[in-house]
Amino acid sequence: MSATTDTGDRVREFGAAVADGWTRERFGLLGAIGLILMAFGPSFQIYLFTDFLVVALFALGFNLLYGYTGLLSFGHGLFYAGGAYGIAVVLRDLTPVFADVVGAGVAPLVAFVVGGVVGLTLVVAVAVPVGWLSVRLEEIYFALITLAFGMLGYSLIIQDPAGLTNGTDGIIVLLGSVDLGGLSFRIGARRTYYVLTVAVVLAATYGTWRVVNSPFGTVCKAIRESPDRAAALGIDVRHHRWMTFIISAAIVGIAGVLRAGLASVASPGLTHWSTSAIAVIATVIGGATYFSGPIVGAFIFLYIRWAISRFPTLEAYWELFFGALLIGVVLYFKQGAVGGLLLARDRLLGDGADDAGGTEADSTDDSRSDDARTDRGDDS
Amino acid sequence: MSLSSLVPLIGVSDVVIGLSLGSRLFLIAVGLSLIFGVLGVLNFAHGGFYMLGAYVTLAFVTNVIDNFWLAAVVGALAVGVVGAVIEFAVIRPLYDRVDADLDQLIVTFGFVLIIHETVRFIWGSGSYSVEPPALFDFSVSLGGSSFGAYRLVVVGLAVAVLVGLWLFITQTYFGSLVRGTSSDREMASMLGVDVPRLYTGVFFLGSVLAGLGGALSSPLQSTSPALGDQVIIDAFIVVVIGGLGSMGGAFVGAMLIGMMQSLGPQFISAGSIAIPFLAMVIVLLFRPEGLFGGFGE
Repeated sequence: MSATTDTGDRVREFGAAVADGWTRERFGLLGAIGLILMAFGPSFQIYLFTDFLVVALFALGFNLLYGYTGLLSFGHGLFYAGGAYGIAVVLRDLTPVFADVVGAGVAPLVAFVVGGVVGLTLVVAVAVPVGWLSVRLEEIYFALITLAFGMLGYSLIIQDPAGLTNGTDGIIVLLGSVDLGGLSFRIGARRTYYVLTVAVVLAATYGTWRVVNSPFGTVCKAIRESPDRAAALGIDVRHHRWMTFIISAAIVGIAGVLRAGLASVASPGLTHWSTSAIAVIATVIGGATYFSGPIVGAFIFLYIRWAISRFPTLEAYWELFFGALLIGVVLYFKQGAVGGLLLARDRLLGDGADDAGGTEADSTDDSRSDDARTDRGDDS
Repeated sequence: MSLSSLVPLIGVSDVVIGLSLGSRLFLIAVGLSLIFGVLGVLNFAHGGFYMLGAYVTLAFVTNVIDNFWLAAVVGALAVGVVGAVIEFAVIRPLYDRVDADLDQLIVTFGFVLIIHETVRFIWGSGSYSVEPPALFDFSVSLGGSSFGAYRLVVVGLAVAVLVGLWLFITQTYFGSLVRGTSSDREMASMLGVDVPRLYTGVFFLGSVLAGLGGALSSPLQSTSPALGDQVIIDAFIVVVIGGLGSMGGAFVGAMLIGMMQSLGPQFISAGSIAIPFLAMVIVLLFRPEGLFGGFGE
């Protein structure tokens, strides 16, 4: 009985919070409605939005290392590709085996799940040694060694000494049709894949959110602010960076698994540094000091690119726009788009913004004072 | 089937090609290394500068005067001006930031995108080639193989740049200011060195070297908008192996990678393009200062 009362209370509490101005709950509810409505949108829009979700998760994983620990990686494409190739190899080589074991109806689903787990395991297995070596270096040198590891992976995938990756062509990813006695669907269908992506990305984002707001995440921020002071407090900085590296790679690996299914191919370009740079662009534009920065940045990246592509004369030159935007953000507004949105919210809503409350506002306030400190440093 | 076709044979032409590839890499890497050694800025756009040098040379030869050497000088200086403007407008405001290194890397990466697209806007996506200067437009036959004479010219010019730069840094007044500022910026500033101006000057010089590299290499390669992205990664490998900030190191590193690119495929088929990256990782881990020590050595 008490359980139901609790649930009732919670629902009522949630309802009250939604009614009470622009609270986190209201945004959450609107977001959920938006996600559901999106599933009924035109096919191309669903594709674009799924693409956005995958890139957002990629950038989110990257930013765990950059925004929260202060290490700029130019090689996270390695883990993006790791997830993609993991699932691609399983789907290519093991689908017939699964068909024999569990029956042809469920085999594609089983293969997809197993492939995802294999992709993730592969990424972690690569990230453990690569991270252990990389965190020995800092700043520019860290950027260079991750770049080298990424390009090392790129060369190996292209030259394919083990005969696994199919060289420059990559591996075609075929997501089959599932038939569960009556209920049948195609995993690769736009809407189905969208629902799947939403579920996985939301779960992974929630997991990352929990990591960031745990004592572990607090230590990350302490290291970002001052590695020396963190070390003086008894934190094993290198070990902590290593662990963050592995978690960050794992999140990127999940995004890579989703990327393979969306693009229907695992291609070597995913490991190239220009792919790693997408995470950098999205994160910096969105605002690296905020949890939601990479997500908003990925949204801007994909939707502005799409908007530009509507004009045939400009289509080919979208990189120019992002180059200029990147420079502008780093020079004049390091808080990025999320910082800008929060500033706009404060200006427009005045006191109402205080009600937003919750941990999000707290953490963003932290970030804002961080930026203020950096700004002061600029003037000196 | 003769015996020589069965064993991998190192021909004279392979060595010359390796040396000319190395010379080309040296001309890209030395400016990158100089800028990092003095300013502490890792210029991601350096490959773009190199590419710009090649394009300006090309445009000058086809549109203004058909003189390769004049065009190369114009190309180098034009890129130098572009570099100096970028340093003044965009990189200078970042020197005093807490995380200046990474911000500068990101900003110069922004210019990678901008230069790439600008070049594509002006010259299109196609690839061009420039004729070598008429005086050297013949091929040399040596030991049963032949190569373009211009390759030897590039090797000679690379050595000349190395010697000239070394003399400039060690023997001139400006060179001593550069060395002093590189080892202790604040002390140099207190002794009356105009550090911001010196930084712009060094960035100009480094950019000129990148432009010169692109200009001189333009007869040896096809110039397309993808060129910048390709060479910057090679340049990173070279400066890391030689030591960030070391000019002699850049020369040895460049020759090493050049020879590897020329001879490597004959010995190792699988994994040969991975070896330079592996070498880069190993050097970063065990000798992050590079194989050949610090600045100016």
